Amino acid sequence: MGRGSHLMGADRSDQPASPLTARTVIVVLLSLAVAVVLGDAGVVTLALPEILRDFGAQVWGVAWVLIAFNLVLALVAVPVARLCVRGDPAVATAIGVVGFAAATTVCAVAPSLGVLIGARAAQAAGGALVIVGTLELLVAATGIERSGVRRWAVAGVAGAALGPVIGGLLTSAFSWRAIFVAQIPIVLLALPAAITLRGRVERRRPTLDTSPDRPHLLANLALALLSAALTAALFLLVLLLVDGWSRSPAVAALAVTAVPVAALAAGPAFRGVRGGTRSEAVAGSVLIAGGLTGLALLPGAELVWTLAPQVLIGLGLGLSVDSLTAAALRDRVPRAIHGGWTIAARHAGVVVGLAILTPIFTADLRHAQTPAEEAIASLVLDAPLPASTKLDLAEQLGRRLSAEHGRVPDLRPAFRAVPVPATQAPAVAALQRGLDDQLKRAATRAFRTSFLVAAGLALLALGPALALRDRYRS
Amino acid sequence: MRRLALPVIAVALVAAVLGVQVAAGGGDYVPLRPANPCVPRPVSTVPAQLEPLAEQIVLLGLDSAACRLGISRERLVLALAETRSLDPHQSAALKAGLVDAVDQLDRQGRLPKVSQLLPQALDQANLPGIVKTIIEAVPDTVVDNLLPTASLLRQTVDELDINRLLHELSDPRQLNSVLQTAILRAALRQALDRLRP
Repeated sequence: MGRGSHLMGADRSDQPASPLTARTVIVVLLSLAVAVVLGDAGVVTLALPEILRDFGAQVWGVAWVLIAFNLVLALVAVPVARLCVRGDPAVATAIGVVGFAAATTVCAVAPSLGVLIGARAAQAAGGALVIVGTLELLVAATGIERSGVRRWAVAGVAGAALGPVIGGLLTSAFSWRAIFVAQIPIVLLALPAAITLRGRVERRRPTLDTSPDRPHLLANLALALLSAALTAALFLLVLLLVDGWSRSPAVAALAVTAVPVAALAAGPAFRGVRGGTRSEAVAGSVLIAGGLTGLALLPGAELVWTLAPQVLIGLGLGLSVDSLTAAALRDRVPRAIHGGWTIAARHAGVVVGLAILTPIFTADLRHAQTPAEEAIASLVLDAPLPASTKLDLAEQLGRRLSAEHGRVPDLRPAFRAVPVPATQAPAVAALQRGLDDQLKRAATRAFRTSFLVAAGLALLALGPALALRDRYRS
Repeated sequence: MRRLALPVIAVALVAAVLGVQVAAGGGDYVPLRPANPCVPRPVSTVPAQLEPLAEQIVLLGLDSAACRLGISRERLVLALAETRSLDPHQSAALKAGLVDAVDQLDRQGRLPKVSQLLPQALDQANLPGIVKTIIEAVPDTVVDNLLPTASLLRQTVDELDINRLLHELSDPRQLNSVLQTAILRAALRQALDRLRP
């Protein structure tokens, strides 16, 4: 056990040991709370178009539903951790759970975009208390520092990876509000678990530890860069699938499950070859950068082409994030503060990733309009159809393209508006398929630069990853 | 060596995935690029009907005009659709392009004779019945000698009011009217020129 362990209860011989089942339940409930809070960072990604429609808002305003949570979490994680270590982490966690649940309830019933964004910020503040508090509680509940930290990190990775998937499924099945309704009972389950551990985590004694350890700069920097890159993986891929390829949120949600599945499989898959934090962080960065490059070089608009790049990203996520988190926390006290630093680094990375990538892909999407229009014009001009039909179709297609300025247009209404005789129907259907293909090509091409920039961010993480002091896992 | 195992596996996995994607055309999944308008396109057979002939002339003419203007055919079409009016330079380029198209089809012997197009033209023309009957009575050889297709089409292009034509693109009735007016004027001018001693 490292010197950062302040365990009073779980593994001390003078305390009655908790029954294994009760301890397991506590660990599961606390891990679920961590997963839900960290999953919230991207849970609304697939719901953004529906939120936009519901509130009749602008895209930039709706993006703040995502940004507000990550920004506040990045800003308050360390200050909240400092508060947490001064008191009982169990109490801090309980307060955080109640605050998070209350803010989530407001999110679920928000009457306006402003209220929703405000509630998301409050959610992040409550969530920060839950996250840093549960780090101490999980170590206390498991009785082993490394095990507790690892569960905390894995729960966070699972939550971050599964968030968009679950959010997309709930949005498709019910509405975006269901995302928040579903979170409330899961997080509230952590309340009795936290209360059970009240007084079981030793408070830090200033007389013994004169000052907190410095944050692990390299591990946190690598975490920030990888988080920025991973934002692209989930946020941009979801946008490409829904807006670019016109897939439903449910289909997009199912398609991006490849990332969390691969992330969870990374540990068992590479168990025999794991060679320490540096090795895992370097391999993870390479895999994430490679996966993002794969998304930039998709050979078609079929979902199957996204799977292998997603698997690379998932494996990289599973290898690097929990390994770097463990490195950032190893032997550093107070643990909650260093947990706060990792959360701040990751979510600052998400915000920076969104800030860098959003203008790039929105501009590229606008610039993609010209080649898409030219490709459409070319296909219409050369279509084996009478000139009068072409003129009618061109008129309708022009209207659709103007109406959807800056977004990938749906051309189906244009074809529905032009009745054609049965003899022309096959040629018109072929033209429609051709135009859809051109739009998908243009949209896919529009995301290429963003994915490559994100891959560059992942490669930048190689710098701090290579500079890490290596330590073999025992 | 153990430290290197995982990065080496990662690099191998990435190389395999990217290799498959690039081999499947990953770098080339982009929208159709417009063809160079200065490179002649293959011309399909032109049936002896007004609409396919007009379409063929317009398609070839757009290529030639775009080549003269230094832009793609598609860009020119989109610009025409958007502005619905041309400056004198663009208008001249479009007319010259249409004349180039007529010349190309004429050189390749793909222009039908006017007598072949006449029944359909008369059917669509807004002329008094008596006039249609008189024209129908003229023997085909006389019609073809009086109105060679290439000359008639060049004259028609000359008579066309391009800006009005573009303005009426979305109204088939008005569009036909503009075209008929140009064709009739051209036919009359051609006939008078031929008949003039």
